[in-house]
Amino acid sequence: MRWSALAVGIVFGFFLTGSGLGNYHTIHQGLLLRDPYIYLMMAATIVTAATGIAALRRRGRTVFGEPLVIPRHPVRRQAVYGGAVFGVGFGIGATCPGITVAAIATGAWWGGLVLLGILGGLWLRGRAERGVGKVTIRRTRRVPTP
Amino acid sequence: MLHAIPDQLPWWVAGPGVGLCVVALYALANAKLGVSGGWLQLLFVAERRPVTEPWRLWFTGGLVAGAFLAAGLGAGRVSGYGALSRHLPVPLLALVLLAVGVLIGYGARWAGGCTSGHGISGCSAGSPESFAATATFFLVAIVVTVLVHLLSGGAV
Repeated sequence: MRWSALAVGIVFGFFLTGSGLGNYHTIHQGLLLRDPYIYLMMAATIVTAATGIAALRRRGRTVFGEPLVIPRHPVRRQAVYGGAVFGVGFGIGATCPGITVAAIATGAWWGGLVLLGILGGLWLRGRAERGVGKVTIRRTRRVPTP
Repeated sequence: MLHAIPDQLPWWVAGPGVGLCVVALYALANAKLGVSGGWLQLLFVAERRPVTEPWRLWFTGGLVAGAFLAAGLGAGRVSGYGALSRHLPVPLLALVLLAVGVLIGYGARWAGGCTSGHGISGCSAGSPESFAATATFFLVAIVVTVLVHLLSGGAV
């Protein structure tokens, strides 16, 4: 599994970087609806992957004969709440967790700060989910004054 | 620096290439391709907590290697940070980029995935939650980008 993950990771990183999405301009122009590249690429990705996934689902097994699990989830609220927070960062920075690596690799060293922020954000959300720092208001009993 | 590949691969090469990665990871490793999950595992390493999905670290390591491979083979070089580095003084740029990262990381963990886990893998698998998350990512990002563009007088 680790070698498969490593090999697919290399190919993924190659295409992600080769697409030029690591350049702020590419995604920024896309989000301003001036350049269709990111949408065309995303559509081509999804059509290809959806076709492959449909074939894999019919087969029902991995290459190594394991039963295949490709989950679908009903919409939970956190997907939209988290999605909105993500969207603000995505809009201002014109980058995302994978694209940041493409940016760094092609010389946009500032992407390193975004990556540091991503680790910080993941950590903060973990804290929020564990309820750390949540303020609990306790009702104090009034002592009757004589 | 070689020039074996163009500055930017056409979308009809890069898109299917990424799509095949999603299929290959399911076919080989029974795993859903996603990047923010890999950074989460790296955070666990930093926090000295147990790594729950070690394959993600291998995948993310591969992603880094593949990115530098493409850069070495001639993918377009970038310097600075687009319009942001042209218009913001360095300390402010650093602060903005850190905040951008925090929003992305926080939102991705809350949403249970990012533009790869939800946007590519989940949408390709026909998961309703991923459609909702991806639509939110893009709608909010477009609104924010257009607002910033208007408020900055077209500078950013």
